Amino acid sequence: MKKRIKYGIMLVVALVLAYNSVYFKSLSEVKATPTADQFDATTYANEFWSTKLTPGLGQAVEINTLVAELETDKDAAFAKHSHALGIGNIRYFMIRGEGEITTIGENTVTVVAKTDQAQQPVKIETEFVYGNAVRDAQGLIDLTEFTSTMHLNSVSEEINRKIRTEVVPPFKANAQKGQRVQFVGAIELNQEHLRLDEIEVIPVALDLVEPEGASTN
Amino acid sequence: MSPEVYKEEKKVKTGTATTSAGTEQYRQHLVKFQSLIALFILCLVIGLLSDKFFTVANGWNVMRQISVNICISVGMTLVVLTAGIDLSVGSILALCGAITAGLLKFGLEFPALDMFIGFTVLGAILAGMLTGTALGAFNGWTITKFKVPPFVATLAMLTIARGLTMLWTEGFPISNLGETFSYLGTGWFLGVPLPVWISAIIVLVAVVVTKKTRLGRYIYAIGGNESAARLSGININRIKIIVYSIAGGLAAIGGLIVTSRLDSAQPNAGMSYELDAIAAVVIGGTSLSGGRGTIMGTVLGAIIIGVLNNGLVLLDVSPFWQQVVKGFVILLAVIIDKANSKGE
Repeated sequence: MKKRIKYGIMLVVALVLAYNSVYFKSLSEVKATPTADQFDATTYANEFWSTKLTPGLGQAVEINTLVAELETDKDAAFAKHSHALGIGNIRYFMIRGEGEITTIGENTVTVVAKTDQAQQPVKIETEFVYGNAVRDAQGLIDLTEFTSTMHLNSVSEEINRKIRTEVVPPFKANAQKGQRVQFVGAIELNQEHLRLDEIEVIPVALDLVEPEGASTN
Repeated sequence: MSPEVYKEEKKVKTGTATTSAGTEQYRQHLVKFQSLIALFILCLVIGLLSDKFFTVANGWNVMRQISVNICISVGMTLVVLTAGIDLSVGSILALCGAITAGLLKFGLEFPALDMFIGFTVLGAILAGMLTGTALGAFNGWTITKFKVPPFVATLAMLTIARGLTMLWTEGFPISNLGETFSYLGTGWFLGVPLPVWISAIIVLVAVVVTKKTRLGRYIYAIGGNESAARLSGININRIKIIVYSIAGGLAAIGGLIVTSRLDSAQPNAGMSYELDAIAAVVIGGTSLSGGRGTIMGTVLGAIIIGVLNNGLVLLDVSPFWQQVVKGFVILLAVIIDKANSKGE
């Protein structure tokens, strides 16, 4: 009798929990339900991309210039070129450069960006496009537009998705060792523990430069 | 021997015995409170070196951070008390967080049936916890049924759970899980962060279980001498499966807290969390050979690890050096533990 009561109570508890845990709907009905009341990260990210991010790419600092400034006066270079939403040593830069592809790896493409005075190797991420570097590198995000950090994070997610699906694939499909590429992208540097030997770029724009005389046979 | 000489000799001997007993008592006190003393010294040193350490905000920050480790470490203590080890807790944490996040955000779709099963916050949390408990039970089952050493069985589960997490998330974070779920990791109740409440309740229950219940006595008995425990009629396999299930369930709770706090289930969440948990257990004085240790010791161990992590960050120590320092602290704890065992 005691066991029956025990199992009965357990069954009732399980049923109450199950009733409050799941709900069933028609899949077509769910797909058709508009979600206008929610923050639309995709629309926001697309608008941010076309009206703020890409128009501002012209102001990106050339990578060799940045490296030279960092080596001369690190703090001044960070103050001048970097942005970040949070506090801490990690800050982001929007950089640009042109160079030759030296290695095509599984996850990155290494480019040596050359100017008359210097040459800086950078790794362009083609697989692991994560983080807030692109969103925050130009300091154009207005925090007051967001009611929640979730929305802010989802913007990064959408921007990164856009890079993974629109920026990287055409580049990856056509890139060849020895070819020249013009790139613009965001990098993350640690102000306190600065390392310039392995700069990783999250690309925003990648243009393969046609070799000279390629069009004239 | 004349009575005078005898009396004199006895006096000397008693005096020596009293001194020796006093020293022994002092040593025992020192051993008993060694973790507390270590924590006090650690706080003092960090507090002197960083003006940000002794602030209320930093205090709550440390408490929030260690609450996840406490959840895992409590489960790990029970496992270690049975002379086992669980290397899979970090991966189970990630998988359970991902399952909870995935069910909460996307539900389950069955296009062939035109059916959608949505999950409430409660439902998603329960699903995550059930997954953790089931994986823990699977660990226990493989260990007891096939006599696979716990190290190997849980190492295999570490890989399995991590792989399942990658499959479930497709390698991408699952974010934006809603305000209600976020409250679990970021909310406050009666002026205390919710994760701290959760870990405190877990500690309280674990203390009661280990000290006041039959299950607790069986756990110590198995760790102390498994053969003797078996001969005395304890169902070793059943107790071990229960213990590993609890460890899995607690790892799942840790996963819920992490996911909720970040508002995102990361596929690589919980990496090497098992090492922090083992460190907390060892520093807390639990013997890796089983049968000896306490939950409160582990809590102190987790606090020491948390304070150490926080202090090293505040002091701007390179992350690479942080790992080196942590390694040496764990080594020191084991050496002290061995020395104490010899003393006993």
